[in-house]
Amino acid sequence: MDAVQNHSTSRAVSMRKPISPRKLVRYFLLYLLAVALILFAVIPALWVVSASLNPAKSLIGGTFFPAEPSFVNYEELLSSEFFPYAKWFVNSLKIASITTVITVFLTSLAGYALSRFRFQGRRVLMLAILVLNVFPSILAMVAIFSMLQQLGTVIEWIGLDTHAALILLYSTGSMGINVLLVKAYVDSIPVELDESALVDGATPWQTFRHIVFPIMTPIVITIGVLTFIAAYGDFVIARVLLKSSENLTVMVGLQLFQTDRFDQDFGVITAGAVLAAIPIILIYIPLQKYVIDGLTAGSVKG
Amino acid sequence: MNKIAIVIPTRSYLINLAIVGAILIGAMWLITSLFAQGLVPLGSALSAITVFIALIYLRRKFTPLRWLGIGLALAMLFTLYPLFYTLYISVTNMGSGHLMAKQQAINRLESELYLPESGATYSWTAFQSADGASYVLWLIDADGTGYLARPGSPLEAVTPGTGIVGAADENNIPLTLEGYERLPLNRTVPIITQLSAIDFGEAPNTVRVSSLREAAALQPKYRYDAAQDAIIDQETGEIYRPVEGTFTSESGEELPIGYIDYIGARHFQNFLGNEGFREPLLAMLMWNITFAFCSVFFSFCVGLIVTILFENLPGKRVIRALLIIPWPIPVLISILIWRSMLNPDLGFVAPILESIFGSSPDWFSNVGWTRLAVVMVNVWLSYPYFYVITAGAIRSIPGEIYDAALVDGASGWGKFYHVTLPLLLRIMMPLLIASFTFNFNNFNVIYIFNFGLPPMPNTIVPMGYSDILISFVYRLAFVTSNVTNYGLAAAITVLLFLLVAGLVIIQLRFTKALKETA
Repeated sequence: MDAVQNHSTSRAVSMRKPISPRKLVRYFLLYLLAVALILFAVIPALWVVSASLNPAKSLIGGTFFPAEPSFVNYEELLSSEFFPYAKWFVNSLKIASITTVITVFLTSLAGYALSRFRFQGRRVLMLAILVLNVFPSILAMVAIFSMLQQLGTVIEWIGLDTHAALILLYSTGSMGINVLLVKAYVDSIPVELDESALVDGATPWQTFRHIVFPIMTPIVITIGVLTFIAAYGDFVIARVLLKSSENLTVMVGLQLFQTDRFDQDFGVITAGAVLAAIPIILIYIPLQKYVIDGLTAGSVKG
Repeated sequence: MNKIAIVIPTRSYLINLAIVGAILIGAMWLITSLFAQGLVPLGSALSAITVFIALIYLRRKFTPLRWLGIGLALAMLFTLYPLFYTLYISVTNMGSGHLMAKQQAINRLESELYLPESGATYSWTAFQSADGASYVLWLIDADGTGYLARPGSPLEAVTPGTGIVGAADENNIPLTLEGYERLPLNRTVPIITQLSAIDFGEAPNTVRVSSLREAAALQPKYRYDAAQDAIIDQETGEIYRPVEGTFTSESGEELPIGYIDYIGARHFQNFLGNEGFREPLLAMLMWNITFAFCSVFFSFCVGLIVTILFENLPGKRVIRALLIIPWPIPVLISILIWRSMLNPDLGFVAPILESIFGSSPDWFSNVGWTRLAVVMVNVWLSYPYFYVITAGAIRSIPGEIYDAALVDGASGWGKFYHVTLPLLLRIMMPLLIASFTFNFNNFNVIYIFNFGLPPMPNTIVPMGYSDILISFVYRLAFVTSNVTNYGLAAAITVLLFLLVAGLVIIQLRFTKALKETA
C-alpha cells in the first residue's frame, strides 16, 4: 500500500533525498519478496537445464547442480532407438512454419477485404467470425476426429495421422481473432493511399500487394509469431490426430516419452524438453514486443 | 465513404473460371465418394461449401468475398461444421462398435467371407512372377481338373501344355508357367501368410489359400437385403434386422459391426436424469469452476502485487526480466517440468520438503494436493502474462486521477482501493473473463500434469478428481479405448458449448469488440 503512495509521489519528489531507515527496511522486505518470487519463477527452468546436463541416471541424492556437467544426455537423445526425437523436432518446425505462412496469407487478405470493401453481409460475417472464434477447437475434438476419419477414407493425405490435417486445423483454429486484428490495423491505414493507387490504374490486388501489405508488416509479424508459437506448442490436437511414431510433433512425443520412460530416461527427457523450448525462446526474445501487443489486443493467451 | 469500385478484367475472370472449375470438379468427386459411403452429414456440409465457393467466384456481385473465399471455406469445414457435427453426434450412439455410416457397415459385413461346407476345395501350387511382386496359383479340384487362378480375374480351366502353361508333371501340375517360376514347398512355407491374404479369382468367386495343401472357394457370409432392410447370414440363414445401429437377430444375437444411428436425447437423460452420473458430474463442474476461478484470481493477484510493489524499486528491470522467465517456455514443457520436479521418487522437491517438514505431500494421488498442484502450476504459467498486462493497464491510468484523489485526502491504501483497483478491474474485466473461459477449458494443465487423476471410485464411466469437463470428454472419447463413447462425449461437449457461450455473452457486455465490428 505504501508502494502505491510512492508510485504517485515519486513523480513529484526527487529520488535524491537521503534514504530513511524506514525506507531501508521496506526495501529489504521488498527485495526479500522479490528473491522469493524469482526463485519460484526461475527454479523450474534452472532445474530442467541442470538435470539435462547431469550424466547420472538418477537424481536421487544428487545435487541441484551436477558435479560433472556433460552433454551425454543430448547425444543420447539424438541417437535414441526408442524414439525419433530429431524427426519430431523437424515435424514440429515444419508444421508450425507452414501453418504460419498459410495463416498470414489468409488473414491478411481477409482482414484487408473486411476493412476496405463494402458488401452485403459484411457485418453479419464479422459477427459470425467473432462468435465462432469463442469456441476453441478443443471443444469440438470428437467431431473433428470423426470428420477427419471420414475424409481420410476418401482422401488419404488429409485424414487422421497426417500433417496436412493438422496444419489446416491450426490455420483455421485462430483465424477469426487474427482476421479481426488485421482488419482493425488496416482500418488505421488511411484509405486515401488505396484510392490514389486505384486512380493511378492499379488493380485492387496490386494496391494490396504493393501499397497496403508493406505497411501492415507489424500486424503480420504479430500474427505470424503468435501463430507459430501456438502451432509449435500445441499438444491436444496433435495428440488426438497423430498416431504413428514418426509423425508425432515434439510436444506429443515428449509427453508420451515422459509418461512412459521417465524412470529410465530422466536425463534424456529433460534434454528433450530443453531442446524443444529453444525455438520458441529464440523467437520470443527479439519479438517479445509483438507477442505482447498481439496478446493485449486479442485478450487471449495462446 | 471508403467505397472502392472494383473492376475485374475479363482475362482474370477466365483464369478464375478455370481454377474454380478444377476445384469444383475435385469437390464433386469428393462429395460423390462421401455420399456413396453413406457419410451424409459431411457430404452435405461439403456440398454447401462448394456451392458457396462457386457462387462467390463466379458471380461478380460477390467479388469482394473472393478475398475471403478460401479462408471462409476452410473455416466452415474445420470450425463451423465440427460444432454442428458435435450436436449431431450427441444424439447418436456413435462409439466403439458404431463408428461407421450404415452403408459402410453393410459394405464391411458383405466383404466378410466364409468357407461353405459344400464349397469346392482345391490343392494348390504357387507360381511367383519374375519380379517377385505377384503370384498365380495352379489349382486342382476334386475331379482332377486344373485351373489357373490370378488375383482379380476369373479362374481359367486350362490343359497343361497349352498357351503359357507348360507341360504337366505326374500330379497334373505344370512344370513351367511363362513369366513365372514354380515355387517348391520349402519356398512357399515362408510366404504362406502373404499368400493366404490374397484373394485369387474374381469376386464373388474367390479362392483363398486355407492351409499348406488346400485352397478353398470362399463365399460372402452376409448379404444385405434392401427390400426388408436386413442382413442375411448366408451360412445359417439367420436374419439380422437393424435395432438402433446394431443388426440383431430374432433371438437377440448381434453382429459385431454396427453403424451410427439416431438415439434421441438418451445421452442427455443419462447424465441429467441418472443420479449415479449427475452427482459426480456436478462435483466435477464445481471443481472446474473453482479451478478456473482460482487460476485467474491468483495469477491476477500475483501479477498485480508484483507490479505495484516493485514499481519504484531500484533494479526493477532485472526483477521484471527474471519474473517473466516462465512465459516463453512452451506450456507442455513447463507442465512436464513441474510433473518431474514434484515426482515423489525422482524430483527434488520431495527430499527438501521431507528434510524440513518430515514428510512430503502426495501431489499425484491425494485429491487436495493434486488440485493444489494444478492450480499452482497454472499460476506459474500465467502470472507473467498478467504481470505484463497489469503493468500496461496501470500505466494507462492518467496521473490526474491520482492527483484528484490526493486532493480528496485519500491515503495510500485508500487510493489503491478506491482509485487504482476499480479502474484496473474495469480495464481488465474482458480479459479476466476471457482468461476464465480459457482456463475453464484448460485441458493441458489438467491432463498433462496428472491425467485428471486420482480416479473417483465407483463411477459409471471413468472420472477423476482433478478432471475438468474437457479432460473428462477427452478421456471418454480417446482414452478408455474399449468402451469409447463419442455420443456421450459429444453430449457433454454440448453442455460445455452452453457454458462457454454464457461466459462469452458476459464478456461481450464488458467489451467493445462488438462495437468494433461496425
